[in-house]
Amino acid sequence: MVIPTLLGISLLIFGVTQLFDPIERASLYIRDPRQIRFVEEIIKKYGLDQPFYVQYFGWLSQVLQGNLGWSQSLHMPVLEALITRFPATAELVLYSAPLTIVLGIFLGKISAVKKDTVIDHVTRVMAIVGWSLPAFWLGIILMAVFYGGFGIFPPGRLSPWAEAMIRSGKFKAYTGLYTIDAILNLNGDVFIDALSHLVLPVITLTTINVALIMRVMRSSMLEQLGKTYIIAARARGLDSKTVIDKHATKNALIPVVTISGLLTAGMLSGMVITETVFEFKGVGYFAAHAATQLDIPAVLGFALFAGLIFVIANLIVDILYAYIDPRIRLR
Amino acid sequence: MKTRVETKESPRLKELKFIVRRIRENPLSLAGLVIIIFFTIIAITAPVLAPPRPGRDPYIIPRSGYFPEPQPPNLEHPFGTTEGQYDLYYGVIWGTRTAYRIGVLVVAVSALIGIIVGSLAGYYKGVVDEVLMRLTDIILAFPGLILAMALVVAFGPGLDSITLALILVGWPTYARLIRGEFLRITSEDFVEAAKAIGCSDFRIIVRHVLPNAVFPLLIVASLDIGAIVITAAALSFLGLGAPEGYADWGQLISLSRNWITGTSGNPFAYWHVYVIPGLFLFLFVMGWNLLGDAFRDVLDPMIRRK
Amino acid sequence: MKRLTLETLDNEELLSVKDLVVRFYTYEGIVKAVERANLKLRKGETLGIVGETGSGKSVTAFTIIALTPSPGRVEGGAVYFRRAQGDVVNIIKLKEVELLRIRGKEVSMIFQEPNAALDPLYRVGDQIAEAILSHRLPEILENVIKFVEGELRRGRSGFGARLELWAYRKMLENPKSAILAILRRIPIIKNLMTRRLKHVVREEIIELLKLMEIPDPERIIEAYPHELSGGMQQRIMIAIALACSPVLLLADEPTTNLDVTVQAQIIDLIMRLKNKLNMSIIYITHDMGVIAEISDRVAVMYAGNIVEVAPVKELFNNPLHPYTRALLESIPRPGSPFKSIPGTIPNLVNPPSGCRFHPRCPYVREACKLEVPELVKVSEDHYVACLLYDGEIYGKYGGHGRSEEILSDKRRNI
Repeated sequence: MVIPTLLGISLLIFGVTQLFDPIERASLYIRDPRQIRFVEEIIKKYGLDQPFYVQYFGWLSQVLQGNLGWSQSLHMPVLEALITRFPATAELVLYSAPLTIVLGIFLGKISAVKKDTVIDHVTRVMAIVGWSLPAFWLGIILMAVFYGGFGIFPPGRLSPWAEAMIRSGKFKAYTGLYTIDAILNLNGDVFIDALSHLVLPVITLTTINVALIMRVMRSSMLEQLGKTYIIAARARGLDSKTVIDKHATKNALIPVVTISGLLTAGMLSGMVITETVFEFKGVGYFAAHAATQLDIPAVLGFALFAGLIFVIANLIVDILYAYIDPRIRLR
Repeated sequence: MKTRVETKESPRLKELKFIVRRIRENPLSLAGLVIIIFFTIIAITAPVLAPPRPGRDPYIIPRSGYFPEPQPPNLEHPFGTTEGQYDLYYGVIWGTRTAYRIGVLVVAVSALIGIIVGSLAGYYKGVVDEVLMRLTDIILAFPGLILAMALVVAFGPGLDSITLALILVGWPTYARLIRGEFLRITSEDFVEAAKAIGCSDFRIIVRHVLPNAVFPLLIVASLDIGAIVITAAALSFLGLGAPEGYADWGQLISLSRNWITGTSGNPFAYWHVYVIPGLFLFLFVMGWNLLGDAFRDVLDPMIRRK
Repeated sequence: MKRLTLETLDNEELLSVKDLVVRFYTYEGIVKAVERANLKLRKGETLGIVGETGSGKSVTAFTIIALTPSPGRVEGGAVYFRRAQGDVVNIIKLKEVELLRIRGKEVSMIFQEPNAALDPLYRVGDQIAEAILSHRLPEILENVIKFVEGELRRGRSGFGARLELWAYRKMLENPKSAILAILRRIPIIKNLMTRRLKHVVREEIIELLKLMEIPDPERIIEAYPHELSGGMQQRIMIAIALACSPVLLLADEPTTNLDVTVQAQIIDLIMRLKNKLNMSIIYITHDMGVIAEISDRVAVMYAGNIVEVAPVKELFNNPLHPYTRALLESIPRPGSPFKSIPGTIPNLVNPPSGCRFHPRCPYVREACKLEVPELVKVSEDHYVACLLYDGEIYGKYGGHGRSEEILSDKRRNI
């Protein structure tokens, strides 16, 4: 299932490239800026005037060798750009995804258990409001209030002094995730600085996405609470807390796993808007920047990367499923 | 408890009445409805609320000068001006039309493509179904915004590219939905019966299957309009949308990006440039989401039992 | 409406349902699911409740255990139950804390779909353990403590056993102890702390499963519900229900979804366990064959009303209510044409006025549309709610004992 999907995605992306003329497509095959002068040769060499399938296999073999083309907006190969930007995105996901998922599960659960009470209504309104907020607008408002108004939680990933510190020889980069590296280097100042840059993007992402998890959790929980095994569990004398926490919640979490997996994958493949608003230089920032510069290889490489992340996420979700649900383990 | 309720009314009419009653009873969905009516009136009366200069494209916001610093609300510009002196009031009023145009167009065309593809897949099954559904799988496997972004870049920036890209990304959801309804309904007896008395395929699809799929389609569509308008605004915000000065909320918000921090004495000196267009966008999307949420509640058989 | 008189149960009786009213608040309207139902259950007796789907028989059972399904509300009446210590309580009025001591311990329930009644994510052994631990923890802890003390006296175990002993004593003192709650979060300590308890509970479960005539119980307790057959799942459900030897078992169509052969085995098992454990049973079904086989007395329900109650033989030989008669006639017999009851069960949002059966009743009179019949005693232990047998009301409408007519009619038919 994984390989056909990946092939499909690559075909789709390559289909998009066919919308360009051969000269633009040639940049997909360039590894080095000096090659730009020899565009005609590249067109010949990779058969860009050849039929679709010939080109596709030519391109695919390049991709499989790790060549995603040259990004003009960043002046580096696309793959390298993705790899250097990924830790920033991963760091943002590291904080936002668990927060969103845990909060969403919690809110969805109480909303279902307290169905049709004030708590339920308030939670649902909050969720709809959060879901309706455009990320870029929320980001701007948060920045205007906190950064503009109070001078805290600045945009970017690090303050200039901290940036200088991690570039100095004394700071060892283990993961590229600054908060974690700061802990490993026992550097409290950098840790706090990195964390303060994370606050607003994490709030933005959580506010917007929590509704997604909450909604799934709520309806899943309501469905479980109506099932016979819940009545049966109560009929054997279990108190409602045990019934809800041990039985209903565990069953209700199964669909939440899927949506959480997809959410995390969506975040890992770059939070284009949030990263752009907060100038948080991760994969999404890079992609948005490339898109506005019409840097085609970068955008396509990014899309391919996003597709790959999603396929992997689906695979992980399947494995998690089997872990939670004994009915799937057999298959 | 199962109870059978015998009625003489047509079930679909009864369903509609039920939905209307539920929406009227629920303050949230009523709020959604009011918001949507409000925006619809704005969109319709835009030429009256903000008369365009004769002979000019009404979607191009008039500007008074080229001075970069936004002006606060005043008599001449009730919502103030943006960076580059575009009139914010004019912009948000005509931006409503832009939002409607993109939202409704994308949903309508996606739904149409979805209905056709879904019907083909659901009715003919077999290889046709397999191929079409693999295609939707692949498109749905992508985060929508990213695929749309790649397509916009491929088509060249602009609102038309955004519309086209969102349609290409959006139709699989509808195709999936219609196909699901098909598989459910075509397995039922009355379709078998219709076939047996010699109804044409087309007639079966139009007369029997589609009417049953109307309500699920409505939920998805109303929730979709909100999502589409947000995504379109996001692409505009990134600079992939309309050229500067076009009446488009996303673009107006992006014009505020240099003015977030205000002046040294007054951190919120330029509040209007980001608050006003964003508020319009947010309310518009929320109106549709509230309505969609109400639809979902009404139509969810599990929830409706209460 | 008649004034409710509070009466305690007489010595013979275990349970009494008095004028029970249950309504469901749905979007379509208020479903009057159970309307002034009256029932009595004697100690050691098997009471069968029969009726069509939607007659309110399951709702009545769920209400007896105070688990009326969700949009439903008990709007009136009482369910008196004699507790094991002898005091009589009204289940409807009890607080949740009290109910937790009754459910699963004194009153248990088994369900129509054993597959749906077991949590798919937990091993069946764990689910049986839940029932045991929620009611018999002190008793089991005492046993474990004695066991560990014995081991210690013989000088066999060291630190681990001491930790366990301490933990069990603490648990016995105060099961919600904070220290224990914290320690239980630590996996290794949790294991050490409960090793022998788990062992003892496991032994209990295996004993129980042997009682359920389940072969290879050691393997079964490790299984997940989906790995078992329907019959086996129902045996597990019965094991859970009987884990604490209840005095009353509510059986809600426990064999409807099983194969016929398995059905017989399960019914046999239930009846044998009933005698062994000296339980009373309320057995709900729409299968007249099962009713005839197992019940002492039968209550017939129609559209939320109890229309007739009689000892099983009496009911089959001398059915009085027109609905009971129709029900008996609809039992398929070889050689005779299949008979069904004309009409459908009424919409309970707007039930028919008067007697709810009147639109389908062949003996309908004007009075039936206006007056709600009460259960009246027609002979020793035989009650029926039909105006045909209620001379007093019937007289008011200028009729005379129409029961003669229906009785003679009946003799012609059977």
